[in-house]
Amino acid sequence: MCQAPLRTEAARCAMNEALITLDNLNVGYNGRSVVSGISLSITRGSFTAVLGANGSGKSTLLKTVLGLLPPVAGRISAASGGIQPVFGYVPQSIQLDPVYLLTGFDVALMGTYGRLRPGHFVPASERAFTGTCLAAAGADKFAGERFAELSGGQKQRVLIARALATRPDILLLDEPTAGVDHEASHAVLQFIAQIREERNITVLLVTHDFGAVRRYARHVIWLYHGNVLQGDPRELLTPERMAEIFEMEIA
Amino acid sequence: MEALREILSPDFLLRNSVYTSVLVGFSCPLVGVFLVMRRLVFMGVALPQISSTGVAIALSLPLWVGFRLADHGSAGVHALAFAGSMTFSLAAILVLAFLERRGYGQAEGRLGAAYVVAGALSILLLSKNPYGEIGWLDMLKGEVITVSDFDLVLTAATLSLVLVALGLFHKELLLVSFDREMAITLRKNVVFWDVLLYLLIGLTVSMAVLSVGPLIAFGFLLIPALTAHLFSRTMRSFTVIASLLGGAAAFVGFWIAYLWDLPVGPTDVVLLGACYAAAGAVARLLPGRVGFSR
Repeated sequence: MCQAPLRTEAARCAMNEALITLDNLNVGYNGRSVVSGISLSITRGSFTAVLGANGSGKSTLLKTVLGLLPPVAGRISAASGGIQPVFGYVPQSIQLDPVYLLTGFDVALMGTYGRLRPGHFVPASERAFTGTCLAAAGADKFAGERFAELSGGQKQRVLIARALATRPDILLLDEPTAGVDHEASHAVLQFIAQIREERNITVLLVTHDFGAVRRYARHVIWLYHGNVLQGDPRELLTPERMAEIFEMEIA
Repeated sequence: MEALREILSPDFLLRNSVYTSVLVGFSCPLVGVFLVMRRLVFMGVALPQISSTGVAIALSLPLWVGFRLADHGSAGVHALAFAGSMTFSLAAILVLAFLERRGYGQAEGRLGAAYVVAGALSILLLSKNPYGEIGWLDMLKGEVITVSDFDLVLTAATLSLVLVALGLFHKELLLVSFDREMAITLRKNVVFWDVLLYLLIGLTVSMAVLSVGPLIAFGFLLIPALTAHLFSRTMRSFTVIASLLGGAAAFVGFWIAYLWDLPVGPTDVVLLGACYAAAGAVARLLPGRVGFSR
């Protein structure tokens, strides 16, 4: 969310820099809502974390924002003059089939395809830019190796490099540290926070990692039993508030 | 070596058959690579059989309406057979891929049923066709001995078109196959690219079925790609090795068949099978070969 210190500046951020607005959105599958009534304005440079138990609708929300699933109700609008923001999507690496003989570089290069016309080969400038993204993600050392043979943390870095290669307005990450050891997980999240600051990229992160949310996120969306709680992580993730939410989930 | 010299001679009587076999051998693995990567190997079995049913229906239609097809020459028969083969291949691949993507029922069972019903239907249709035994049955079996100049040119033109389209749109077809969700977020028209890929597969399968028959078409579609996957490190080497293996097996198979007076198509397939088995044994001895593990 917008972190401007002055009220007028904050208002400018909210009015002019909102990239996407979710208006009373219901998300789900086959016309059935999993989560209802999400209203949110995602502004440039914000870091929003989506929390919730398995099956609470975190990934469904992300896929709806990305346009992979249609909204069940409500609407998603591009707030800046109707211009669609460019998405940098980081899926869970386990979704990608290892049968494809692609190197880390080949996978990252796909991020540039959105700017290339069909039938045109990838120009040298885009290849060089992909190399820069891989280096920024700390993935250049293993970019020549087969993607399927990389470790979980290395795959995530390559997928983040691919998302950066799209030149994104918003980086959407679906549990980027799932199946990654603690050390690599910390490094990946620290890197995401770092590039957000350096490049003023908006981040929407789906995660189970409360520690990471406390450390990096500026706004939290907590999904439970089809409902939504939103707020500042410092207010929402206090032990008392969390106990209250978990009790509601159990109940 | 005498037989090899004969085959390579420009005056060789069966030169069109050699060229057609090699063209099919080079081209089928290029689309077979996509069937293997999309884990549609069983579709590679069913499609040639369904395509041959399309040929049988197309060749039976004129008889059902009292039209004498034999009066219109081999080019007319070939064009009609190609239309039937192409229509059925494309319709089948679109329906089967749609059902698979939607997750309806059991994909293997559906493909197995389609294969066996299509095979039976072809035999039934041709058994009631007075011309079936003298010529058209040979076409379905893969008559690679008598290939006219017209047939050769048609095969070469079709397969060249497939090759050019695969080369031009490789990055789009690869992206949509590897990560469909990513392709959607990049605002690619995934349905268009899927249909284009299926059209190219359908064209190749139809041409291969008409040239060498369903069994051999299946062999060339999948075995070179499966063999190449054991040794390849990149998509480029995967595609090139599969295509070269298919072309080489087609030529060597023709040579062996000519030398020992064997049917060409089955010789090609057995040769490819032997290559696959040998490659599998060698790959086990090499470290770091992952094959199809997930």
